[in-house]
Amino acid sequence: MNIVEVENLTKRYGGETAVEELSFILEKATATALIGPNGAGKTTSLSMLANLLSPTSGKIIMKKDISIGFLPQYPQFFPWLTAIEFTELAAKISGVDIKQARLQSIKTLEFVGLENAIHKKVGSFSGGMKQRLGLAQAIVHRPELLLLDEPISALDPTGRREIMNLLKSLQQDTTILYSTHILNDAEEMTDQLLFMRDGRLIEQGSLKDVKKKHAAPYIQIKFGNSTYALEFVSNHTWKCEVKENLVLLPVSETGPTMQDVLYVLSTEKQDIIGVEFQDASLEEIFLKVVANK
Amino acid sequence: MKQFLLLLKKEQLENIRNYKIYWIPAIFILLGIVEPTTNYFLPQILESSGSLPEGAVFEMPTPTPEQMLAAIMEQFQTIGIAVLILAYMGTIAGERKSGTATLLYVRPLSFKAYFLSKWTTASVISLVSVWLGFLAGYYYTFLFFGEVALIKVLQLIGIYSVWVLFIMALVLVASAIAPNSGFAAAIAFGTYLIIQLIDGLFGLNWTLSPVKIPQYGVEWLTGSPNSSVWGAIGIAILLTLLLFALGSWTAKRNKAKTKV
Repeated sequence: MNIVEVENLTKRYGGETAVEELSFILEKATATALIGPNGAGKTTSLSMLANLLSPTSGKIIMKKDISIGFLPQYPQFFPWLTAIEFTELAAKISGVDIKQARLQSIKTLEFVGLENAIHKKVGSFSGGMKQRLGLAQAIVHRPELLLLDEPISALDPTGRREIMNLLKSLQQDTTILYSTHILNDAEEMTDQLLFMRDGRLIEQGSLKDVKKKHAAPYIQIKFGNSTYALEFVSNHTWKCEVKENLVLLPVSETGPTMQDVLYVLSTEKQDIIGVEFQDASLEEIFLKVVANK
Repeated sequence: MKQFLLLLKKEQLENIRNYKIYWIPAIFILLGIVEPTTNYFLPQILESSGSLPEGAVFEMPTPTPEQMLAAIMEQFQTIGIAVLILAYMGTIAGERKSGTATLLYVRPLSFKAYFLSKWTTASVISLVSVWLGFLAGYYYTFLFFGEVALIKVLQLIGIYSVWVLFIMALVLVASAIAPNSGFAAAIAFGTYLIIQLIDGLFGLNWTLSPVKIPQYGVEWLTGSPNSSVWGAIGIAILLTLLLFALGSWTAKRNKAKTKV
């Protein structure tokens, strides 16, 4: 079931185009990662979906009466409010029943790991705590659509892991669209990837599809020296690539399997250091996609 | 209504925690006290300054209590209004500029409730400050210059309050329009001066000008109420309502300018 349909979304500021002809679909209870270099148009796109910005042209079709949670990249809070006061205010304005709001706010603050700072003023919070509070205000009303702009960029590795785990637990019944430049983390939680550059969507699809298209996995054979590697290539007809003492064999339906490679190598007399199955990382794919387009 | 009450509570908390609820009334009380006190002690002040030639005699007419209350109102009209503009110039513009408004604007927010909650809080604090300032001034006027009927003072305060409510709506609209607090102050001060100027130029023919409300308040105090006062008050209320509409609409229109 589609929660959001974005059709040819464009945002221009005078002569500058921030987002151009952006189209994608968000399905219910899926996580979509919006990836792109700085200035790609990620924040502008999220701001339009959060109804903060009006598009110059194009359409955003959302499920009727959808509730949205939004976390900006650098969330700013009223420093004179305590964490519970702010979260409760956010819940009530979002339509949560007044009696429920307090309980729900406490639970949410505990959920994001702020149980010891519930009654502290936000002005005394560290960057990481603010990021957690930002997440709390975004989810306190149990939104169906969660829009997160760089939700983990301000966190240390431990905090990042914790927040990623929280987001993964939310994914079961929440549609999540988040921008990030920490690609290893994105790889963990994504049903759909949207690559943006210069305001345009340059690639989209599941991680599996994108990998298949741009960086198929390969078998890597490491020889003692480059002469052995070249000898191996000349003795076989498999499509492969040589990088000094490495031979890279792309895995495909017509290519060799690991079993084939191991069998052949067992009959060879060259100095073989190791054989590995290599899968391209999202970072490699990102660099390839951004460089290619 | 639910959102208005929620946001009103937030505004009240803000004004308590940033101490506006204390320092704004304190300034008005001070302004109210300073005018009669300095006037009363002016001969002693001049004498103690020591720069007068020997034998110099000053004959200064003693102001009437009514003139003293009018002078207090003049202080409110200049320093007091400036204090109110500076205190509330960032109410909306500042929230947008800092990005604190973003987390409100992404919710199903009623901008009418948003604007009105801010105006209500700012107005209540301003009115209480003005009332306390007048009452403090009235007490010292009574001590040093004689009695004025309390009912007349209350009538002056009541009439002047309408003017204060109008000014607060103007300040908040300026804050809704401007990209930052400084700009909001410039718009508010500029508009305040322009309407005074227009009244100065064409006021003789336009007796219903809201700018004349403070003057009508003084006339009421001195026992010669102007019949145009009610018309001017009516127009001020109407303009205040129009400013509500303009402020809510502008705040909504400018929501995209909030820092993300």
